[in-house]
Amino acid sequence: MTQAVTVSADLEVAGLGRSLWGDAVHRLRRDPLAAACFAVIVLYVVVAVWASWAYADFEKTQNYAERNQAPSASHWLGTDVFGRDVLAKTLLGAKVSMTVGAMANVIAVPLGLILGVIAGYFGKWVDDVVVWLYTTMASIPGIIRLIAIKYAFDNVVLFEGSRFELDLGGIHGLYIALGVMSWIGTCRLVRAETFKIKSLDYVTAARALGQGGFRIVFRHIVPNLFHIAIIQFTLGFVGAVAAEVILSFLGLGVEVGTPSWGTMINAARLDLVVGRWWEVTAACGAMFAIVLALNIFGDRLRDALDPRLRT
Amino acid sequence: MGAYVVRRLVQSVFTIFGVMLLTFLLFRVVAGEIASAHLGPRATAKQLAEWRAKHGYDKPLLINRNAGEPWYDTQFLSYMTRVPAFQTRSVITNERLLDIIIERAPYSLAITVPAMALGWVLAMIVATIVAYYRASLIDHVGVFLAVLGMCVPYLAFIMAGQMLMFRVAPRLAYGLASPFSIYVPVAIAVIAGLGGGVRFYRTVIVDEANRDYVRTARAKGVPLPGVMFKHILRNCMLPILTNLVLAIPFLIMGSLLLETFFGIPGLGDLLLSSITNRDEPIVSGLTYLTALIYTLGVLLTDVLYAVFDPRVQLT
Repeated sequence: MTQAVTVSADLEVAGLGRSLWGDAVHRLRRDPLAAACFAVIVLYVVVAVWASWAYADFEKTQNYAERNQAPSASHWLGTDVFGRDVLAKTLLGAKVSMTVGAMANVIAVPLGLILGVIAGYFGKWVDDVVVWLYTTMASIPGIIRLIAIKYAFDNVVLFEGSRFELDLGGIHGLYIALGVMSWIGTCRLVRAETFKIKSLDYVTAARALGQGGFRIVFRHIVPNLFHIAIIQFTLGFVGAVAAEVILSFLGLGVEVGTPSWGTMINAARLDLVVGRWWEVTAACGAMFAIVLALNIFGDRLRDALDPRLRT
Repeated sequence: MGAYVVRRLVQSVFTIFGVMLLTFLLFRVVAGEIASAHLGPRATAKQLAEWRAKHGYDKPLLINRNAGEPWYDTQFLSYMTRVPAFQTRSVITNERLLDIIIERAPYSLAITVPAMALGWVLAMIVATIVAYYRASLIDHVGVFLAVLGMCVPYLAFIMAGQMLMFRVAPRLAYGLASPFSIYVPVAIAVIAGLGGGVRFYRTVIVDEANRDYVRTARAKGVPLPGVMFKHILRNCMLPILTNLVLAIPFLIMGSLLLETFFGIPGLGDLLLSSITNRDEPIVSGLTYLTALIYTLGVLLTDVLYAVFDPRVQLT
């Protein structure tokens, strides 16, 4: 770090003499598209927090006098079949999407990181077990895996009656299903990277100094894998948001009545035919914007954080 | 070579065993009771017990401790022996899964085979063009459109397509009334998958085009189309074929959403209705089917890699 201070201005411009993270932030800032996408993501998060506070009593706003109204000055995106404001519903859907995306990856990424690094570092039977575990799970393809686990969770309530009661039939089950089902990609990447890192000199040096396996893994190897974790978090977010919409659409996602883009599309799937386009359009449009922003930002982030991909 | 194939086969058996273990744990242990779901909340204890006995849910899960019965006479054993050969029976209609699959799979294949073939050809053509003009305006516009297409929700494609058909030709918008009905979901699947396909194939082609041997070929004067078709595309085939093989499970299962929307009685539609009806033997059988096909597909690709690419070492 002391070196960075003395680096000349020329090197600064060339992007040298900065840490990986400093360089990545610098690159992303200079990229207007990445910055715009990041702004969209932040906006969605802010909206999600704000909507859950502003529309706390959304369920009670049913108004049968104003059912199925087209967009107007008082309801910018029209009203749904119960006379509720579609704009409010869409913004509340952002809350579900953002929490599901975040929670699923809060479970999946550390799980994949830890299993991957342990398999890669210790090798032998540990590696065999982890590889068996993820090939097994990966062999049930994508959405079918999620449908199966949500089916199993339908009537399951963990810690029933206690303070920590968790009804896995609803959104908590969704977090867990997405979390335990989407660590595979992270695990594969981390395992392959650990194989490379563990033969580097500095790891050998740490071992020669007599440090234990777990200490080497968590002090010396894991910090060098954080960039993979961050990239996987962003890309995994897209997958979780899309999966939530499809599962909710199929009735396997959030509890019935929770405003989410998937339930909105499901509720309005026959509306299009009679010309009520606003609810479906609002949900699809909201989803399109966040998925686009996350995809582009994730790609740019990967380019910025993974030096091998630089051209 | 022989030893490699045998070892990969043994690994696949372990994977399939793992899948069955996982589905058994999920559907029988985690999901728990399904008798009351089928008989309703007012069923008596006797009715529930009869239902369980009829469908084999009365046995112990893992170890039989009942006096006079062998320890291995359990749900686990019957699950492990029936699921692999698709001998489970629906708890609702009592049909054997194998018969259901034979009856329904053609509908799924009728959508997915043309969709995959057509989608692949189209995506390859567009990707080749875009990669050929890489770093030019055509490339930038192409990639931009592909990313946009990837981000439109799949449900939006389906609903817009069905809506359009209701306006243009209502007869084709639902069911199988006309022989042309099947082409509507096919077209939707092709269009919805195009963005992701183009982007993936473009990346593969551009990666290959940046290699040294391509530069050598161009330096010695091979014309650009020759480089593209004779050198680059041939070397891209392995990753592209892998990607295709990995999509095979979806060939069999069909597109879950398309089948539901268009009322096509395929396997995807069966899976979703079995989930709703809590028809556990069908759900577990179909999950196993997809895993089996996927595993066999991966096995086949690995072996073909070893056969066709001399650089791949058999380890």
